[in-house]
Amino acid sequence: MEVERISGLKFHKKQDVAIVGAGMTTFKRRLNETGKELSYLAIKQALEEADMDLSDIEMVVMGSAPDTFDGLHMKGEYLLDGSGGSDRPYMRVFVGGGTGVFAPIAGYWHVASGLADVCLVVCEEKMSSSHPHPQSAFKYIWDPILDRPLNPNLIWIFALEMNRYMHVHNIKHEDIALVSVKNKANALDHPCAQLAEKITVEDVLNSEPMALPVRRLDVSPPSDGAAALIMVAPHIARQVTDNPVWVTGVGWALDTTMWTNRDLYFPRYVAEAAKMAYRMAHITDPRKEIDVAEPYDPFDYKELHHMEGLGLAKKGEAPILTREGVTARDGDLPCSPSGGLLGVGNPIAATMGVKAGELYWQLAYRAGKRQVAKEVTTGVCQAWGDLMQVGTVMVMSNKR
Amino acid sequence: MFNEKIVNPAELRHWEGKIELYWIYTSGVAGDKFFKALKDEEKFIAAKCKKCGKVYFPPRMYCEFDFSETEYVEVSGEGSVRAFTVARLDKDEKLMEKPEIYAIIDMDGTDGCMVHLLGEVEPEDVYIGMRVKPVLKEKGEREGKITDILYFKPS
Repeated sequence: MEVERISGLKFHKKQDVAIVGAGMTTFKRRLNETGKELSYLAIKQALEEADMDLSDIEMVVMGSAPDTFDGLHMKGEYLLDGSGGSDRPYMRVFVGGGTGVFAPIAGYWHVASGLADVCLVVCEEKMSSSHPHPQSAFKYIWDPILDRPLNPNLIWIFALEMNRYMHVHNIKHEDIALVSVKNKANALDHPCAQLAEKITVEDVLNSEPMALPVRRLDVSPPSDGAAALIMVAPHIARQVTDNPVWVTGVGWALDTTMWTNRDLYFPRYVAEAAKMAYRMAHITDPRKEIDVAEPYDPFDYKELHHMEGLGLAKKGEAPILTREGVTARDGDLPCSPSGGLLGVGNPIAATMGVKAGELYWQLAYRAGKRQVAKEVTTGVCQAWGDLMQVGTVMVMSNKR
Repeated sequence: MFNEKIVNPAELRHWEGKIELYWIYTSGVAGDKFFKALKDEEKFIAAKCKKCGKVYFPPRMYCEFDFSETEYVEVSGEGSVRAFTVARLDKDEKLMEKPEIYAIIDMDGTDGCMVHLLGEVEPEDVYIGMRVKPVLKEKGEREGKITDILYFKPS
């Protein structure tokens, strides 16, 4: 991917934005805690890491995906009191699965614009409330006349996309399965992980067929959980930490809702979002300039798909990089060192904890056992969602 | 045409749909404590912020305003009417057989209120500041739900 170099006032901002704290709850299939309680627990950790109190927070952004999961219409309002939003400017944002990176992008607007010097971003999802299965809720994101009468669900839609991706680049399922093997193993070092496991490629290939080529171990699980980030202006960052991580670029884009008319094999929406973020971050050659990445991995092929959309690999090259160990935690371009959605879990919006949150921890050298082997300065995280059409991208750096 | 007056959309070419989902809501950490005490012991549990002292009813595991932890305290369950309304039409605008009185009840010993029904009182006799106490279902019939409180009556 080539990104044009920009100069001048194109992405003018009032002030730089740093991340100084993050927190997340454990991700599990079912938790007793209410969504409000989960949000509170995640925020509490982030405040502790940033050495701050709720009284230091000026504004709050809440990210939570479809209301149909929690089963509460307008759940942003419902979640308010557990989100620290009472008596201050508060808003909910959501772009389906893309929310996990879109919510911090909204937090960035708050601080970069100068409206807030301290903005709390919290994401919550409680998928276990939804029955007969969280997957049933997805039926209602499609066109009620053209798609819904065919009883679609996300698994078979993504099977179509995976099928096309494999066909266009002649990719074997074995190579895709390596992503699941890597991420579930990475998750062994994550204290919040739901599906951390040492598995093999054969385990993936022999797991239960869901909608071929997608098998059980190609997919991340539904989960409950919450995550939080604290985003601040430079003068606040200086007061609370020696290791702030700067948000150097943000980007988002949506592809057409007529999903049948897309290429399927290449996520154009991610590429457009990435170009916007890279231009802002003055990155012209992402493969060389990005040290660590958290591409969105709800399916194993999706990590590869998104690496290509993010310009971290050429089209069709991501499986080769994975096979060669480039994306391993000790590789040249570690991808999903957190364990990702495949290993840690997929509470839609709350995956912020393993994408934006993990990237912050990696660049602040706070990832503990998950810290990647190489020296890191700049990284990218990304999420994807809505009707498989939105790309949300954030570039961070520990150098200002 | 866009300015045509359509009274019945079913006369147009159309599809019908409904969202076929249901939900199982957990009462959470503080909710479990509250509903278990109500069901098994007829007790009313509130939560007091360890920092600012604000008392929440029903209880919460955190203080909404300073995010400190809370501790559980028992309250009487009695209170006084802060505001009330006499509902005569239901949500579908049908006339109700018997009007229902909904009230915001200031709970004694707490900094909060709850909304519930008033019973054993005529609408014209209700007044703001009226003292009320809860009437619970029989022990065997209680399920650990807010409806285990049938209504509040004058005390």
